[in-house]
Amino acid sequence: MDSILASSSTIDSVKHFINVACEPHWFLIISVAAFFIFLIGYRTWTKPAVAATVGALATLFFLVSCMDANFAKIVTKADNVPIVIMMVSVSFLLWLGFRQAAINDERMEKGEPLLEAGADDKVLVWPDLVYSELIALVLCTALLIAWAILLRAPLEQPADPNVAPNPAKAPWYFLGLQEMLVYFDPWLAGVVLPGLIIVGLIAIPYIDKNPRGNGYYTFKERKFAITTFLFGFVILWVVLIIFGTFLRGPNWNFFGPYEYWDHNRPAALLNTEFHDLFWINFWGVPLPKHYLMRELPGIILLGAYFVLSPFIMKATFFRKIYRDIGFMRYSMLCVLVLFMVLMPIKMVLRWTLNLHYVVGITEWFLNV
Amino acid sequence: MAKKELITKVWIEEGCIVCDACETAAPDVFEVTEDSCIIRPAALDLEFTKPRSVEIVDAAEECPVDVIKFETVSVEVADDAPAETAAAPAAEAAPAAEAAKPAKKAPAAEPKKAAAAKAPVATAKSKAPSAGEPDPSIQALLEAATSRGGHAGIMRNADDMPANTQDWKAADPKSLPPDARQAKVVEAAQKAKKHSELHRRDFVSNSALAVGWTAFGVGTGISVGPAFGRFMMPNVLEEPDPRIRVGKMDKYIEMVPGGVNEDYKPQGIWMIREEDRIAALNIICTHLGCIPNWLPNDRKFKCPCHGSGYYPDGINFEGPTPRPLERFRIAIKDGIVVVDKSKKYQYELGQWDQPGSYILV
Repeated sequence: MDSILASSSTIDSVKHFINVACEPHWFLIISVAAFFIFLIGYRTWTKPAVAATVGALATLFFLVSCMDANFAKIVTKADNVPIVIMMVSVSFLLWLGFRQAAINDERMEKGEPLLEAGADDKVLVWPDLVYSELIALVLCTALLIAWAILLRAPLEQPADPNVAPNPAKAPWYFLGLQEMLVYFDPWLAGVVLPGLIIVGLIAIPYIDKNPRGNGYYTFKERKFAITTFLFGFVILWVVLIIFGTFLRGPNWNFFGPYEYWDHNRPAALLNTEFHDLFWINFWGVPLPKHYLMRELPGIILLGAYFVLSPFIMKATFFRKIYRDIGFMRYSMLCVLVLFMVLMPIKMVLRWTLNLHYVVGITEWFLNV
Repeated sequence: MAKKELITKVWIEEGCIVCDACETAAPDVFEVTEDSCIIRPAALDLEFTKPRSVEIVDAAEECPVDVIKFETVSVEVADDAPAETAAAPAAEAAPAAEAAKPAKKAPAAEPKKAAAAKAPVATAKSKAPSAGEPDPSIQALLEAATSRGGHAGIMRNADDMPANTQDWKAADPKSLPPDARQAKVVEAAQKAKKHSELHRRDFVSNSALAVGWTAFGVGTGISVGPAFGRFMMPNVLEEPDPRIRVGKMDKYIEMVPGGVNEDYKPQGIWMIREEDRIAALNIICTHLGCIPNWLPNDRKFKCPCHGSGYYPDGINFEGPTPRPLERFRIAIKDGIVVVDKSKKYQYELGQWDQPGSYILV
């Protein structure tokens, strides 16, 4: 009896540890760290034995965790099963791409021909392509039918304009956007930033004129481009979807994966304004009357972030990039990168300091 | 019978001083990076280096520290039909090909790949009569691909056009290889088209057409537009009475200060009690229009969509929302409290002190 109690308390402490690690700021820090550890050691991590071990450990962790009722409930919810599949498929495809890149990079150093050298990409429409499409079509249909039978589509209560489900979640592919809306003014997080994502993706071919990596896998020759893109995709899109799916519970509070979704769990998230921090806490003076004066420190801080950072980056780690792509392209690159990095900065500030807005001109609906 | 040295493999030994000379001489083959010079991946293929033998030898000779090394193979070259070196025609065609893509940083991966892929095939059937000449269709494709965009297209009319391109443009068509001749013909045709005169008759008939179509468009717009606009509006506009009767004053007087009455949430109203007054809150979240929940334990309104939180009086204090909940006009009529949802009072505009936004108790 004692041993059972002792083991259960050990398991509880492990669960508690994981719950704490899934608090948003830790989760983000761990994700970013894991991301860079993977990129730095990509040749080791993508070795089949290493990757298989990591995959097996993750699967084992997942299966063992399913013994926990709360965890099982959240991952087997019909809405959330695709996200579990997405995590597996994103990991697998990342591995696949980086594995080939690692092999190619190694071959390049040895002066051997690349994986793609001499590859004949030509495929006949008939019968090769049409057959493949037919098979894919049949398989997809079968899969969807089986899925629809096994996992019932979750019908909720009739729509009522005066009642919102708690938590109210967007479709899974928009959960990243919904998460962004928590940190910025709606027009900024809902219009400007998504617009910048699309504009940025369109602008990539004009900014990135590095001709290498065209038609073959490589990481060594396109380190910056691949890292930046994957940071935006994996950290700022996939991880935010995971946040929204598994960690956001009732009242849009964060819940650990083993925590019960308690609708009445108290949460104290008293917002702090940057102008309060600056004028009242730091200088000990009352807030200036005029809103522009009140927000001046925030405006200066934000302005410095956008104006000074490009020069600092140009003088340090972007020196070669600046030389390669020139002033105009570099300016565009800076705007996009700085907006992208603003996202995690603001998120961490909200989680740690409860910082509401750096610049909060409610009078103009300008809240950053 | 001439003898020719063809390069099968090229590599760089240690000691590169990053002087750019080799990249200038053979941009397809060498790339000078920040700390060293490397062979471009495509150039690891002997079919790729063979036609560029002259450039590579130049580069090796120009290298001040002599770190560029290469292996060669000697080949007997017949004057008319170079049987063994099917790649050589590509090299001979180089003036034309280079003319088509004079910029050294042109997005040349595709054409080069095509050329490299082409070469082995040509070797296999070197006896075929076409092996000695570049395939005109391929050349035309290359021409089309490089003349539209990229650096090649931009460089076409630039002052710093490479010398061989200038020579090619100035040359007599009859002295050119077939593909270049075709390109010149196409160019001449385009030029002629551009300079063709605009005839008066065309101008008149075109103008008549333009006027006619414009009149037709305007007429259609005027006649159909209003009907279409009317169609977009609903036939019956159902607007429920914005005034909602929320019961007698007594029950609100009995509430404790800071209390919230949810009885009229289905009508979109929270009745709240403050120290000396009652007021009617709009239940719509000021962040993005969700409906928050009243949490009695936490004594706050909490939005389930993005986590905005409000005190019982409607002031925002957590989550992303930028401003407090709105209040409705409220009045007593015949002893019954009536909330008028058509008139709203906003805190950030200082309207909560206006009479009509509250009832004193």
